[in-house]
Amino acid sequence: MTLVDFLNLLIAALLLAGIYAVMSVGMTVIYGVMKIVNLAHAGFMMMGAYFAYELYERLHVDPILAALLAFPFFFLVGIAIHWLLVRWLPHSDRPTLQSLLLMFGLWLVLQNIGYLVWGNTDRSILTPRTLSVIEMGPITISSLRLVVFVAAVGCMAVLEIALSRTWFGRSVRALIQNRYAGRIVGVDDEKTARLTFGMGIAFAGVAGALLATLYSFDPDFGRPFLLRAFVIIVLGGLESVSGVALGALILALVETFSILFLPAAYQPAISFALLVVVLVVLPGGIASLWAKRRRLA
Amino acid sequence: MTVASAPSRLEARARNLLPWLLLAVLALLPSAGLTANITRLLFVTFVWVTTSLGWNLLGGFAGQVSFGFAVFYGLGAYTAALLIDRGVNPYLSFVFAGVIPAVASIFIGLPTFRLRGPYFAIATIGVSEATRVIMNNLAITGGASGYRIMEQRPFRQVEHYYTALGMAALAVAVSFLIQHSKFGMGLRAIKQDEAAAADLGVNPYAYKLAIHAVAAALTGIAGGVLARYAAFINPQGVFAFQTSVYILLMPVIGGIGTVWGAVLGGVVFGVVEEQLVANFPQIHLLLYGALLILIILLEPDGLAGLLGKLYRRLRTPKRTDGSTHSGSRETDEVLRRAGSG
Repeated sequence: MTLVDFLNLLIAALLLAGIYAVMSVGMTVIYGVMKIVNLAHAGFMMMGAYFAYELYERLHVDPILAALLAFPFFFLVGIAIHWLLVRWLPHSDRPTLQSLLLMFGLWLVLQNIGYLVWGNTDRSILTPRTLSVIEMGPITISSLRLVVFVAAVGCMAVLEIALSRTWFGRSVRALIQNRYAGRIVGVDDEKTARLTFGMGIAFAGVAGALLATLYSFDPDFGRPFLLRAFVIIVLGGLESVSGVALGALILALVETFSILFLPAAYQPAISFALLVVVLVVLPGGIASLWAKRRRLA
Repeated sequence: MTVASAPSRLEARARNLLPWLLLAVLALLPSAGLTANITRLLFVTFVWVTTSLGWNLLGGFAGQVSFGFAVFYGLGAYTAALLIDRGVNPYLSFVFAGVIPAVASIFIGLPTFRLRGPYFAIATIGVSEATRVIMNNLAITGGASGYRIMEQRPFRQVEHYYTALGMAALAVAVSFLIQHSKFGMGLRAIKQDEAAAADLGVNPYAYKLAIHAVAAALTGIAGGVLARYAAFINPQGVFAFQTSVYILLMPVIGGIGTVWGAVLGGVVFGVVEEQLVANFPQIHLLLYGALLILIILLEPDGLAGLLGKLYRRLRTPKRTDGSTHSGSRETDEVLRRAGSG
């Protein structure tokens, strides 16, 4: 492998990591605050993809703009779903099978609404930007992937600011650390949970819309990405935004460079293999490495 | 006391007799003359009931929700298919269709049972995806184009019917044996609180691996029996994520953790599927998704729990006179409101 090939793959991996981070972070915040593993994340990603598709096809809205519009739209959807279904679940400081199955049922419903409305043909969003590339000597970068990456990093930055600077963010972090202690010091856990759920679903919608510009999709769209998101969350240690970014980077690197030694047909199995390796070697995720060191210091 | 216990003892005896009666009726049905269509419907229902009971062993008894049972179903189907195609006796092939998935379940369980609850569940999605991808690319499975089974014997539908009936009866028997054994109690302890179960001397890791293997064997045999009947299988069919979803939905909707709940779920699924899936596959799963949401939020014991409640409500007036009955219903109402408020 030449240096140019290496650089091309490295850039591709970096650009992939941005979108991977956005798609995983929604699951992470919901898990952190509510201890719910949101399987319906895949369904909302699929809906996000069709959201961008419909806006582009009917109103000729630029897909990247549509992805940003997906945020408020899916935020409201998330609040509604929380009000309708999620708030009736018994509270728990551990993930329950009840919540898992509820979200799974919701995923089935969303997916099959997708089949009813759009059928099972593959759709894709093709804009003039889709195939254009930026050439810098021997290194080529897909300009669309670059734009998606910038949008993704922007989303992550906004989230990081919201979590570190606002009252809402402080409540979220308090509940992630300890729900009961948070309530004792006056955090409104119901309201925070509602907003968090909305935000998690909003990130799913944005991620779906961004992914729709890169890949073709059908109503089963979110499933392979759900598994990737889970691998990323486990890699990142389940509850932190920076952990998610790191996990996304690792998965993107492994997936991209695996092309060199594994047939492409086997690629979907990589995330699972990585999951097993992590679970066997590092049950606490990558973050546990320096968490331990910090505790010692 | 004796007055009260006499009918309940009678009831218990009737309850013990009922499964045998059911088996006898089902065994005699073909000689009463069934159309080929009804026979096929019952055959498919027995297959689903078996997978439902298999999943229920791990998911219902031990509380480990798995999205990966298509792996065992598919491995069973391919094991039987490959062996029957090479002239091995079909019933011997079914034994291997149970053994191979059981062995696979150990390899899957070793890493994934390090995870608890929902993490295990999501890891099984990964197992299922990875297996499908690999099977789709292997030459021995016929790859994506599928595998046709050439059996040397003539096709007799009644034989398939009895095979499937025997298999479903075996699954019910295994479920009851495990439920009433010390092993089954250990599983229930794991479901309630894994750490506490470990403190009481139950090894959760070993117990889960063991029940996973039994569940995988039953599911694999079901896959093998179906493959022999269908005479054609392909990886996108038997290893599909949707197969895992079906296998999970049946016991959860029927009544998770109880043997008859799992059976009921399989029967409802088999019959409804026949009517709906051919014409409206999407509505079929849409309904099941909605039903799953309703059951999780309103009736965690599933359809079996709902039927049990109806049965008790219908039966109560016989025992007490009208006034106390309405009184107790009011009390129930007050208690329910207090509980929800």
